[in-house]
Amino acid sequence: MRLLLATLGLLLGTAMAQDPISFNRDVRPILADRCFPCHGPDKATRQAELRLDLREHAVGGRPSRGPAVVAGDAAASLAVQRMRSQDPARRMPPPASKLTLSEREIQTLERWINEGAPYARHWGFVPPRPTPTPAVADGAWVRDPLDAFVLRSLEERGLRPSPEADAETLLRRVTLDLTGLPPSQEEMDRFLADRGPGAYERVVDRLLASPRFGERMATDWLDAARYADTFGYQSDVYREVWPWRDWVIKAFNENLPYDDFITWQIAGDMIPDATREQRLATAFNRLHRQTNEGGSVEEEYRQEYIGDRVHTMGTAFLGLTLECARCHDHKFDPISQEEYYGLAAFFANIDESGLYSHFTNATPTPALRLPNAGQEKTLADLDQNIARAETGLAELRVTLRGQLSQSTTEDIPDRIGHFPLEKLEKDGSVVNSVDAKKPGKTSDRPKPVEGARGQGLTLSGENNIWFPGLGAFSRHDPFTLSMWVNTPDRKERSVLVHRSRAWTDAGSQGYELLILDGALQWSLIHFWPGDAASVRTNDPLPIGQWVHLAVSHDGSARASGLKIWMNGKPATTTLVKDKLTRTIMGGGPQLTIGQRFRDKGFKGGSVDEFQLFSRALCDAEVAHLHDGGPHLRSHDGSLSAQSPEWRKAAAALATLRKQRARHVDSIRTIMAMEEMAEPRPTHVLHRGQYDAVRQQVSPGTPEAISPMEDGTPRNRLGLARWLTDQRNPLTARVAVNRMWIVAFGRGLVSSAENMGTPGAPPTHPQLMDRLATDFVDSGWDWKAMLRRLVTSATYRQGSRRHPEGDARDATNDSLWRASPRRLTAEMLRDQALFASGLMDHKMGGPPVKPYQPPGLWKEKSGRTYKRDKGAGLYRRSLYTIWKRTSPPPSMMILDAAKRDVCVAERHETNTPLQSLLLFNDPQFVEAARVLAARALATDDPIAHVFRALCSRRPRAAERKALQALFRATQTRYGDDAAAAELLLKTGDAPVAEGTDKIKLAAMTLVSSTIMGSDAAVTRR
Amino acid sequence: MNPLDLTRRAFLGKTAMGLGALGLSPYLDRQGAPHHAPRARRIVYLFQSGGPAQHDLLDHKPLLNERWGEELPDSIRQGQRLTAMSGHQATLPLAGTVFKFSRHGESGTEVSELLPETAKIIDKLCVIRSMHTEAINHDPAITFLQTGSQIAGRPSLGSWLSYGLGSANRDLPDSVILVTRNKGGQPLYARLWGAGFLPSKHQGVQLRPGRDPVLYLTNPDGLTRTDRRRMLDAMNALHADQEAHEQDPEIRSRMAQAELAYRMQMSVPEVTDLANEPDATFELYGKDARTPGTYAANCLLARRLLERDVRFVQLFHQGWDQHGGLPGALRNQCRETDRASAALVRDLEQRGLLEDTLVVWGGEFGRTAYCQGKLTKGNYGRDHHPRCFTMWMAGAGVNAGTVYGSTDPFGYNIASDPVHVHDLQATILHLLGIDHERLTYKFQGRRYRLTDVHGEVIRPLLA
Repeated sequence: MRLLLATLGLLLGTAMAQDPISFNRDVRPILADRCFPCHGPDKATRQAELRLDLREHAVGGRPSRGPAVVAGDAAASLAVQRMRSQDPARRMPPPASKLTLSEREIQTLERWINEGAPYARHWGFVPPRPTPTPAVADGAWVRDPLDAFVLRSLEERGLRPSPEADAETLLRRVTLDLTGLPPSQEEMDRFLADRGPGAYERVVDRLLASPRFGERMATDWLDAARYADTFGYQSDVYREVWPWRDWVIKAFNENLPYDDFITWQIAGDMIPDATREQRLATAFNRLHRQTNEGGSVEEEYRQEYIGDRVHTMGTAFLGLTLECARCHDHKFDPISQEEYYGLAAFFANIDESGLYSHFTNATPTPALRLPNAGQEKTLADLDQNIARAETGLAELRVTLRGQLSQSTTEDIPDRIGHFPLEKLEKDGSVVNSVDAKKPGKTSDRPKPVEGARGQGLTLSGENNIWFPGLGAFSRHDPFTLSMWVNTPDRKERSVLVHRSRAWTDAGSQGYELLILDGALQWSLIHFWPGDAASVRTNDPLPIGQWVHLAVSHDGSARASGLKIWMNGKPATTTLVKDKLTRTIMGGGPQLTIGQRFRDKGFKGGSVDEFQLFSRALCDAEVAHLHDGGPHLRSHDGSLSAQSPEWRKAAAALATLRKQRARHVDSIRTIMAMEEMAEPRPTHVLHRGQYDAVRQQVSPGTPEAISPMEDGTPRNRLGLARWLTDQRNPLTARVAVNRMWIVAFGRGLVSSAENMGTPGAPPTHPQLMDRLATDFVDSGWDWKAMLRRLVTSATYRQGSRRHPEGDARDATNDSLWRASPRRLTAEMLRDQALFASGLMDHKMGGPPVKPYQPPGLWKEKSGRTYKRDKGAGLYRRSLYTIWKRTSPPPSMMILDAAKRDVCVAERHETNTPLQSLLLFNDPQFVEAARVLAARALATDDPIAHVFRALCSRRPRAAERKALQALFRATQTRYGDDAAAAELLLKTGDAPVAEGTDKIKLAAMTLVSSTIMGSDAAVTRR
Repeated sequence: MNPLDLTRRAFLGKTAMGLGALGLSPYLDRQGAPHHAPRARRIVYLFQSGGPAQHDLLDHKPLLNERWGEELPDSIRQGQRLTAMSGHQATLPLAGTVFKFSRHGESGTEVSELLPETAKIIDKLCVIRSMHTEAINHDPAITFLQTGSQIAGRPSLGSWLSYGLGSANRDLPDSVILVTRNKGGQPLYARLWGAGFLPSKHQGVQLRPGRDPVLYLTNPDGLTRTDRRRMLDAMNALHADQEAHEQDPEIRSRMAQAELAYRMQMSVPEVTDLANEPDATFELYGKDARTPGTYAANCLLARRLLERDVRFVQLFHQGWDQHGGLPGALRNQCRETDRASAALVRDLEQRGLLEDTLVVWGGEFGRTAYCQGKLTKGNYGRDHHPRCFTMWMAGAGVNAGTVYGSTDPFGYNIASDPVHVHDLQATILHLLGIDHERLTYKFQGRRYRLTDVHGEVIRPLLA
């Protein structure tokens, strides 16, 4: 009878009658799920001023009503009366909510109230405490303290651990778990031969030291980091982020302590004297989806990206659903909306744009340069040469002082374009008085108007004047533009002149003179805002009058080399950006006045006399352009206008700068984090909407999880410290849970993505605490913790079920056996490649394109997937290109995460499409064929194939079925040699000369059958 | 039991057990769907991707022609946000339509000359002129219609139905997607019919024209159906031994899936092979229907799938995104789709399927009443417009021959009876017997549903 009761209790998943009620285990899940939506932390949706998440509220009286809960007296508690009410208008939860409480749940709540309604803090918000190893009856079974915790709970349930798995099963299990690959035949032989003490531990140490370990661990982390090789959203363009993936592999292989693993990724750039690797790690925060869809609102998407960083940090490191607090206070966890934006403030402070460039391939800023050693050396040499040339010029300036006669500006050399704009020709062109072969053109006939000098042209904001073949200045070219403008009003934003393809659609790459908030802004841009040199006038552009404007660049690519003149006089300017590092040439540019693609044109504005110079003019020359009168050049002006010696030296410097620019443009870059000097203000966004800006917030962490120390800096580095502080209740638990999943298939907390209030409680809370504290004490040693898990007695159990175990714990929460699981998408493909010997073991580098059915990319985004030949077909699956809008179909069919957002754990399913894939994907058919060919060279081909794929020898019944298949198929192909020939053509790998094709075809079918069978597909 | 004897139902039971063994059983709470007697047993959703221009098709606005080229009044725009495409335009001139409208059917509904076949069946349709959405760009807008959220990651309508109602078919997927081939335009992607956080077996399966209608469906060259049968028999023997040894019910479910795959290798080519359709069919759908992958062929294929009780069929036809050059491009879009859309409704009706099949036609948003880019007498473009757009429904339980909702004389704002995307979703679910507030799935501790926390069934749309 007692056994029956115990069984019932287990089946019902509630406390047994004799157990005291546990708030966290029994009560909180009910309250959180059914009551907190209206009586929880979210003040916006709270009803009747009642909070049931806090005891003082639940048992305290409210101004208008009595207490909801009377401790010790369920019958007197209003909450219970309402739950039991027969009146739908009074019943809780209200029928309209479509939520109900079962009789059993109400009884649990009644018992809890009768026992005094004790509350406990949510277990996940209480820092883990070191827990002593419990005493157990069968101490001999225990290999690691963790086994004692498991055994104790088994003993409490009247269960025994399962016998240890046989050697073959265990070797397969641990090899797959730690490296993602099956054991090789040689490894199997060695392990079966070495049954001495410590043999298994030696295997584990070998696996942990294998470079394959890092690849296996990285695969999980790529899901968490929503890693993909494309930007996502609709155009879904390729982006080069694989150096970050390679860093992850390296970090796991080198066993980077987990606190560093977090710190580098969250704030590597802010570590004092940060190395390139530490900066590279921060690309983690930039792997979210990004859009380039024309017409998107830049700020909307910038907020989206910041949000994604917060959510990913929350799920990956804290196991919290922070995203729930984006639009309102969290409904279950004590995280206010204001605190959410406090977290967002940590991640907002980089010089980024909400849109990546559609028309150029610029890396969205901030971008980190990743030169190889040779490139680094070349760059240093070039920098040295340039510095020398600049010094040389400075010296020459002194040397030539007094040697040059002072000149006036009657002749201004280096004029390469002069457009008086006196009239429009019939074909809409305008005359270039310097070079008749390069006239300007107009669109939609700008209207003639009385100009500053003779006639000018008035623009509509949609039409323009453009100059084919002129203005192709690079960031190392000195040049000057000069024009008259007359604006009818104060423009918030207006394009005066530019050479670029577009605004946000091209990251503004090129150069541009804009009116912004009435003032003039002159910029050279690779990608706005993070890679540009830009200055802005302090004074506004005068309105309703003709104003002469000139802008120049001295070839230095620095903001100090940008100059603006208004009416012949240098304008005082403010620095806007001074970080131009890469090309300004991309995007199909034309020098254009008055209009730009999807930007605000110079509506109602007039222009006159436009001129270009391939040199940075001096003040006197610009004054001349303004008033036509002769002006005396300064020494510097005379040098650049007249001195052949100076001009030669300047040209030599320009050549060096050009070399450097070309070199830099060839160096790989990656999106990374780089803190802005001036923090961007962050605000609460009402309902999460980017344009509903509310109060400003400062960076901070949720108070209820753990307070941030006063001395901790309020920036990402401080956030990383807070995350890795041993008082943080979640970080170590989440990490241990993740490792537990690697070893046991399911976490100690089964909701890996959520350790907050609505998540599942741990199956072994004390064990969870013990491992979390041990992990921190070990210096966050990832390999050491995994080693403990996989060498434990718990891990080594067999997976076979038995009725008694199933009766007491059908879901194996108590770990009375090992849980079998299907191999992951990556493991299944890698196993086939490995077993057949086709696998190319090269690590890292750009993604590869193995076999894929034709047309998938094409039908989604018009790009063609051109599969690799040779090695690219046979690399490990984590190197397969991940295109977000068309992920590798074989991986999607096998339940890989989509990589749109952070995913903590995949769901395993079992579908007919999986069966079709394993049978028919050329990748698998080819592997089956190559494996069959290898097997035929051995004494026992069937055993060879079986062992290679299932890591054990076939049993008699299996062997018999496979032999029958082989014989029947051999006969069939013997009758139809052409069919055999056809079958063997699948895949690029050649068939060796002189092969018996009938036999090989037959063995290929045997091999394919085994490949799709349970023994190969499952890790037991 | 011989694994070959496993029926689909038995297999589902086994799978549920398998999931239960994985600790996923709480997820299988469908809140007892269906919740009421369904009016529709299946649904075909004709998604017109890109945003069809309602002013040129189904929402006639003579005022726009009268005031052709005049600036959109601020009183109408009401400071509404525009995309960054036309948001920087110097002017927003009103653009009328170059197409003629006339009244059709007993209902006298106005339909553009671009849709002559749709006009002929207008009394079978319920036209909704007051749809509105929250998104102004394609990706979030399509995602919103498909999943109820602008942010990627939620389950699609089809996968909710698969999850909520289970399978109605033994040999075919629950949710089938057909995309017109070689259309280009705004990209489409698998997550639009993905299962989000639902188990992946609920995801839509795309059928493609050509050799492999389902990915990896076809055996390798040189491997016949007999060979495959032989392999499966051998595999059955392996699995029988493995199950005896491991006592793991998941093994049996794996075998059942392999058998279903084997049946699909027959059933899918059978359903996608249009060769035996009589000539009359191609007269009805148009000769395009003979070319696999066209919209017309997909409409015909949809009918064949619905006949076989596939619960959810969704077509996608791209190319409705006329920012410029609208008259020419729109004429082309309509030529590709009008006849076949109408044919599908008629065909379903004559086969007695329309009474329990819901047909839905529409895009992700509307287009602006003002011109994007250059406005001339015969040419114009229209930007995205979330504030109002037009869709239609037909078939099971739909109030046929009616128009619901209206827009103002500028076709810019809704004048009466707005239908939000979540309302549409709630109404569709209602017709399929589902209370949209009760079809939920618990993920990350929160109950999710297709309609988020919004949506109301629009009763006047129902017969």
